Amino acid sequence: MSERKPHILVVDDEPNVLVTYRLILQQQGYTVSAAITSEEARNILQQDGVDLLLCDLSLEKQQSGFDVIQFGRNRSPGLHCVLLTGYASVEANERAEQENIPVLFKPIDIQQLLQVIADFLRKTDESRQAQHGH
Amino acid sequence: MASPQMRVRSEQQPAERERKAGLRLLNAERSEEIFPLLLEEIIALGHKAAFVARVDFETSSITPVASLNYSRGFLQKQRSTLFAMENPVIRILHTFHPEIVPGKARSGDGGLYVHPMVYRNRNACWEAERSNAGTCLAVANFHCKQRLNLPDQVCGTCDMRAYAAVVCVELKPNAKPAEVAQLGALVELANRYLSRIFKVEHYYNRMTDMETTIGQMRTVLESMADPVILTDAQHRVITQNKAAERFFKLPDEVSEGRVRAVELNNLLFSAALSSMAVAGVDSSRDMTLVDAIEGEEVLFEAVSAPSYGPDGRRTGMVTVMRDVTELRRADEELRQNYELLTAAEEVVRQDRDRLNLIIENVGDPIVVCDKDAKIVLLDPLAAELFGDEKAERTAIHMRNQAKLDAYIAAFTYSFSDRESAPLHLFNPGSEAEVEYDARSGKIYDERGMVAYTVSVLRDLSAVRRLEQLKMERRMLEMEKFAVAGRMAGTIAHEVNNPMEAIKNCIFLLQDSIHDDATPVYQILKTETERVARIVRQMLGLYRNTEQVGNVDINSVVEDTLMLFARQLDRSGVRVERELGDLPPVVGSADQIRQVLSNLVVNAKDSMAQGGKLRMRTRVAKNGIRDIITITIGDTGCGIPPNMLDTMFEPFVTTKGERGTGLGLWIVKGIIENHGGKLRVRSQVDHGTVFRIELPLVQ
Repeated sequence: MSERKPHILVVDDEPNVLVTYRLILQQQGYTVSAAITSEEARNILQQDGVDLLLCDLSLEKQQSGFDVIQFGRNRSPGLHCVLLTGYASVEANERAEQENIPVLFKPIDIQQLLQVIADFLRKTDESRQAQHGH
Repeated sequence: MASPQMRVRSEQQPAERERKAGLRLLNAERSEEIFPLLLEEIIALGHKAAFVARVDFETSSITPVASLNYSRGFLQKQRSTLFAMENPVIRILHTFHPEIVPGKARSGDGGLYVHPMVYRNRNACWEAERSNAGTCLAVANFHCKQRLNLPDQVCGTCDMRAYAAVVCVELKPNAKPAEVAQLGALVELANRYLSRIFKVEHYYNRMTDMETTIGQMRTVLESMADPVILTDAQHRVITQNKAAERFFKLPDEVSEGRVRAVELNNLLFSAALSSMAVAGVDSSRDMTLVDAIEGEEVLFEAVSAPSYGPDGRRTGMVTVMRDVTELRRADEELRQNYELLTAAEEVVRQDRDRLNLIIENVGDPIVVCDKDAKIVLLDPLAAELFGDEKAERTAIHMRNQAKLDAYIAAFTYSFSDRESAPLHLFNPGSEAEVEYDARSGKIYDERGMVAYTVSVLRDLSAVRRLEQLKMERRMLEMEKFAVAGRMAGTIAHEVNNPMEAIKNCIFLLQDSIHDDATPVYQILKTETERVARIVRQMLGLYRNTEQVGNVDINSVVEDTLMLFARQLDRSGVRVERELGDLPPVVGSADQIRQVLSNLVVNAKDSMAQGGKLRMRTRVAKNGIRDIITITIGDTGCGIPPNMLDTMFEPFVTTKGERGTGLGLWIVKGIIENHGGKLRVRSQVDHGTVFRIELPLVQ
């Protein structure tokens, strides 16, 4: 296992929500990037090193979290993504299911969020180790 | 009488002879004795020979019946007929007067004296005299007006058939006229005696005939089962048959009762006779007599007819009585039956009038058809739809009639007794199509065959309009609920983000709170969590308002139970399910799942010490409509009665801080959105049963 701390990108158009998520995740010992717009998020995703993307569904100016996740996955196919939403329509639900994106509904139970994150990172770790093993 | 001794002759004086001959003839008792005596007296007068030939009116023949001193051969030749007029004897017979046929010119031949003997007399017989008939054959013959043939030789008064004969005497030679006259007187005397005897014999025969007739009549009378009574002018009984004696004659064994009965009968009878006699020719009357032997009362119809004598005077009455007890009883029965029938007819008529009144006032068209689906009765409203004979029929009438015929024919030959089916007809005025609900029933005849069908057509326009209105109102309610949901969702979403931040902050602060501030921090934390739950609930409500389709209620129930299986198990709740065979319901599976989840969680929460959760689904009837019922029953703490009224209002909860108070409000909203109903029964400490009714829409 590398000594590098897992890098999580949080995207949300609400500044206070974004800040608090960043603080919580940093408190948990992760490296956290925070983007308040999809543009910012794309810029961060351009660079390597994001292990997990937590993205709000509705972003600024009708931007969709799906697009950001799409972008991230195109950039690095193994990227783990979680869609956060307080406003899940049936369509959104179905699309998330189709694209194999887990969804967490706001208000999010923090313990649950942390658990999900931990599970994902462990998986990433295991797959990475498997790759190294080859 | 004609004994040989008496034929001894002696020479006597003519007058003496005549007297003796007359006495001898007078001694004759029977008519057939006259002729032999006469012949003997003629020979005694010294004549050679004599014979008597008699006329048989049946055959119009003449045959010798007695003779003296003639040979058999001669007598044979004397047979003749009344028509042989060439025979001098016959010719003389027809003249009724004696004559001498001269003999041959030889000496010693005195000629043949021929003397006809016919029933005759100078005076009419006593019967003719008494009856004043004026016609007596004896007198007529005396005056020689009758001819000698049968029709003329029957008396018009006494009906007696006369006799006729001829006496032929061969005179002694050289007989003097005085001797011939003596002979003639003798024959006339014999004829007078013969007439008398003949008349007597006629009466004797008539009496014998009459006795035979009386005997026959008596037999007839006795053989009649009905009493027949002959009475005289004073109403005294002359004769009666046995059947009458039963009522009017005192029996041999006399008892007081019988005597009284007979006396009473006689009294009644003579009273009836008196009144009938006054009434005239043929009259009848009813009377009740007492059978003297049996003691029963018998009702008779007495018919009396007066009897008349030969002189036309009334001699009495003949009364025939007929036992009409049975007849009258039958008559009475018939009359009663007739009255009953009349009464029944009256009832039927009233019923029919009443029915007609009902039919006229039903307000829906009514059609009665026979077994061949032909219209036999229409009320005025139906006549407007299908036309009737009085008014001209339009094309619309024809079309309506064709549609009705098809419907009635199908119903008549169907197996159902009653039917309710839609029937689309056209309004004769506006020509618009109108939907009717045709309700039909069958009337069977006594063989169980369809005799008539009765159809009431209900105009469904108003019902349809009402249904439309209800549907629109429901849509509006759903819309309102959706708007409310959307608003709640929007508010929740807007609250969501700030709350997310607050919640995150609380989490971040958890390790840096002073001990003094910890209680306050706890309040902040729990209240925030509560807000989070409310927001989540409101979001959930909105999240699922879409997606309406066919829902399999049973699988939703199974899903829900599976989802909560572990929680229920952990709480010690046993689940009992009883899922019926259900058709699909139109609605939202998500919403119904939300409803069931809510109710199951509530049930589980009410059974903190464990218990039994019972879920049952089935199809039921609510009036005429099919519905699906889902019942969720628990054995929990129940709902306090004071909460039953408010439990479906928002923000009412028994769970304190753990509940939002929105659950049942949302449940009720969803069920009502589906056109259903939610009912609850609860008893504190025993449990609660929720019953959901959802309509089935075909």
